[in-house]
Amino acid sequence: MIQRECGVLKTSYEADMALYPLPIARWTVAALAVIFFVVLPLTLHEYYLSIGNLVWIAVIGALGLNILVGYTGQVSIGHGAFMSVGAYTAANLATRLDSPWPVNLLAGGLMAAAVGAVVGIPSLRIKGLYLAIATLAGQLIIEWIINHVTFISGGVQASIEVARPRLGPIVLSSQRQMYFFLLFFVVLAIVGTLNLVRSRIGRAFIAIRDQDIAAEIIGVNIFRYKLLAFAISSFYAGVTGVLYTYFLGIANYEQFQINVSIDYLAMIIIGGLGSVLGSVLGAMFVTLLPIVIRLGMEAFGGVFLAPQTVLNLIPNLRLMMFGALIIFFLVVEPEGLNRLWRNIRNYFRIWPFAY
Amino acid sequence: MSDALSFFFLLMSNGVMIGLMYSLIALGFVLVYKATDAVNFAQGEFVMIAALAVALSMLAAGAPLWVAILVGIAGMIMFGFALERVVLRKLIGRPVIAVVMATIGLASILRGVGPTFFGAGTKNLALPISDEPFVIGPLFIPPIQVLGATVSVVFIGAFGWFFLKSRKGIAMRAVADNQQVAMAMGINVQRYFGLAWAMTGIVSALGGIIWGSMLGVDVNLALVGFKVFPVVILGGLDSIPGAIIGGLIVGLVENVAAGYVDPYVGGGTKDFAPYVLMILALMIRPYGIFGKRIIERI
Amino acid sequence: MRFYLAILTTLMLAGGGLFGTLPATAQSKGEVVIGLQCDRTGATQIVGTVLCPGFHDYIALVNSKGGVEGYTIKALEIDHEYKVPPAVESYERHKKEGAVTMAIYGTPHIYALAAKLTEDRIPGTSPGFGSAAAADGIRYPYIFPIAATYWSQGAAAVDFVKKQLGGSLKGKKIAFIFYDNPAGREPIEVLEDLAKIEGFELKQFAVPPPGVEMGAQVLDIAQRFRADFVIGHLFGGAPAVSIKEFKRVGYPLRKFVSFVWGSAEANIDAAGGFGVAEGYYTMQFAGVGQDYPVLNEIREMYKKQGKPAPKEMASTVFYNRGVLIGALHVEAIRNAIKLKGGGKITGVDAKAGFEKISNFTLGGLVPPLKITATDHEGGGLVQIWQVKGGKFEKVTDWYSAYPDVVAKHIKAAAAK
Repeated sequence: MIQRECGVLKTSYEADMALYPLPIARWTVAALAVIFFVVLPLTLHEYYLSIGNLVWIAVIGALGLNILVGYTGQVSIGHGAFMSVGAYTAANLATRLDSPWPVNLLAGGLMAAAVGAVVGIPSLRIKGLYLAIATLAGQLIIEWIINHVTFISGGVQASIEVARPRLGPIVLSSQRQMYFFLLFFVVLAIVGTLNLVRSRIGRAFIAIRDQDIAAEIIGVNIFRYKLLAFAISSFYAGVTGVLYTYFLGIANYEQFQINVSIDYLAMIIIGGLGSVLGSVLGAMFVTLLPIVIRLGMEAFGGVFLAPQTVLNLIPNLRLMMFGALIIFFLVVEPEGLNRLWRNIRNYFRIWPFAY
Repeated sequence: MSDALSFFFLLMSNGVMIGLMYSLIALGFVLVYKATDAVNFAQGEFVMIAALAVALSMLAAGAPLWVAILVGIAGMIMFGFALERVVLRKLIGRPVIAVVMATIGLASILRGVGPTFFGAGTKNLALPISDEPFVIGPLFIPPIQVLGATVSVVFIGAFGWFFLKSRKGIAMRAVADNQQVAMAMGINVQRYFGLAWAMTGIVSALGGIIWGSMLGVDVNLALVGFKVFPVVILGGLDSIPGAIIGGLIVGLVENVAAGYVDPYVGGGTKDFAPYVLMILALMIRPYGIFGKRIIERI
Repeated sequence: MRFYLAILTTLMLAGGGLFGTLPATAQSKGEVVIGLQCDRTGATQIVGTVLCPGFHDYIALVNSKGGVEGYTIKALEIDHEYKVPPAVESYERHKKEGAVTMAIYGTPHIYALAAKLTEDRIPGTSPGFGSAAAADGIRYPYIFPIAATYWSQGAAAVDFVKKQLGGSLKGKKIAFIFYDNPAGREPIEVLEDLAKIEGFELKQFAVPPPGVEMGAQVLDIAQRFRADFVIGHLFGGAPAVSIKEFKRVGYPLRKFVSFVWGSAEANIDAAGGFGVAEGYYTMQFAGVGQDYPVLNEIREMYKKQGKPAPKEMASTVFYNRGVLIGALHVEAIRNAIKLKGGGKITGVDAKAGFEKISNFTLGGLVPPLKITATDHEGGGLVQIWQVKGGKFEKVTDWYSAYPDVVAKHIKAAAAK
């Protein structure tokens, strides 16, 4: 039905290597851009935009984790800690040196990348689940350091207030303004990741994931690329942490504990390991799921049960449905939402024919 | 005996006892991994619902202790079989991270189940053991720790023997080693998977009774599951004697850290000290102290 | 393939339908909205599952008597599992529904929302937990502790210990066992200050969350440090574990006083019952027990509806605190409406309403707080109750201690 590739001919290498060579892909991206940049922010109430902001922050984090886990095959449960490193770096710079937000953002990301590379050093010797638990150790140690070293944490409360970011004379304080601010970085992150995985570095990552010993034999320096994977992934995490801090107005390590790391793992597994679209879909799914469940319970729960019981039931039901949905997705489609979407798309690609 | 020395012995004995109790939970994890290559992130939650089952049969149904224990063990065996049948059978052959995520999802479900149906209050699991500690020289040893350590050692010994000598145990090891060849030799792989999860259920029930009595049965009980990771990594993911050694090391390190490092750094090192040791150990022996070395073929 | 399509379409329709059935935004005439955040499934569910019903019951009682100056109160509750992102999302949701006050739950949450509350000019309460510096009403105009903060609790604890140890603390040893997170560490600066002033030796024993195992710290306190008294600042499941651990090493519980969140029937029950915890001293910022007129009224209300009193009422410590928080919010709204001459109120009015609260004791359930524009804490009043003979027995009446020391710290925090 939608003959995507018919009649598409390129006359230069650049045109052929472009990110979206097919016209239909370009139209789709343009439509999505219009929806997310124009339609949604102008029509939705601020509450929904705030949820959208949470989703965008999660997307950037999920992209980073997918680079490490999905493309390079190194399981990491330390994502939350790298976010808090980024957050506290930026917060400290903002309060001590009064530096502008681009500097803080970059510094937060780079610091997190450095820490990530250090945490990734064991990855040369250790593989699989053992590496995952080693990264968990990294998470706990970083948490403890931030908690106890007052130079970093800014005092007993371990919370550092951060002023809102300013774009020239405009102070970004409302959810709508935050939405555009975050969307900008999301687009950067998505385009960056798409290009990264098509590049030489990305191919090295995929080689390491598939057969790292064979990769080493053909000349890929796996130690360097593994560390690079950790560093790049932690950079994304650091940026996520900084953006989250600017979103909230405060940096606090208790927001980046192990449950956050596990949430991000859930996002990329449900979304699909090793795919950018998967990270985005997974982040949306995991962030929106609790909210949707709660809205559903509020709308329909009152029909069956007394209000107090509903209130007690909603959060537990949410936990159970979260777990049940994860298992459901894993059983039905272990390669995640990404594969689900590809199946639908391929179906329409050759419809009404079967193959 | 001087104060400092007697305190040191106290810490050591506490560490050994608690370490052995950690081994009991780690045993559940190791059993599943050894037999099915599946990583069970929900081990703490298994312990929690087992304890919940026992506590409820004592409190709500008024059953005597030994009946409650039987109910708990039987319930967990059925739960293990059911789990394997419904969820895990479909995930055979998938990458390991899928099974990990499935157990994380399962953990989430189990955490919600308790408060939904039985209320969020902490239930008490009363064992007929006094709270007064045994006083042996400078050592104060609470009876519950003695019970826990004994149960732990006995069952680890029993399962170790099972895997080494009994027919079913050898069959399980064959299944874990190479599923296809085991099937070709006539071993019913799926039944042995179910059996492995049922054995984990039994061990979780025992752990649940002991830890539930020590900590009280509520959602927080599931958090002991986090302690299991340094234990199994240090000892080796598929090694049963490793579970004991790992447990002892973790218990001792935790107490040493709490007793001697904490006062200098402001506290809180207890939780991550075993992890630091674990990383160092992994750098030397990447598969844990007793773990089986995975030979990768290209 | 068709199966997946069917699922997708159902999800889409459900999603579309759900967003359509959301309640109308903003308060309709005659309704005042309070946003309540709760933790019913997270680390402190032992508190939330009892405290929030108390809040709701008081609101129901007020509504059943005709509301506040003719307005009905609507309390919207959202559970945030003790995590911060859901708390932020519930804050936005409550704002959308037009909440004029917010009852925040959790120390990291009040820190996370402090900036937003001030920007949006909606008063938020944080009774009995952080941040202690927010008692300064000038520096934090929209944060209201409305109950003893951790600094006041620390000062009150030291004062109580002083009386228990014969009037002087010189040369004595006090152990402070606490949760190793910002909430747990908050009282330390006040305690260290008091250690210098009163001349006692203070040693800190951190318990990393979630606090399921603290054998080594307890051994240290009992056998190595040999504390003369222990001040405990644990919450969630940890207080029960601490009671059991102290008993196991043979340390008498009558030398233990716990801050407000380790001091409920729920904690005692979790430890094995009142018999096990005999002698345990607890600090309270709301009245304890069933014997208050407002609780009788709530029971009456349920009886009129033909329902038995909810079982949460039996857990009086946390339930009464829920009633207290609800009552203070309602009182603030009442003051605000009166100030506005009966018109519709906003967050700014509610803030003024809070700052007029004084001499509101609800039959002894609420301490005689005096909240002003400069003092959002209200005096830092606590009571001490002890576990004796199978129930709680009152040991002291409402008191606060070392107000000058606490004020000094508040001022120092405001200067930062």
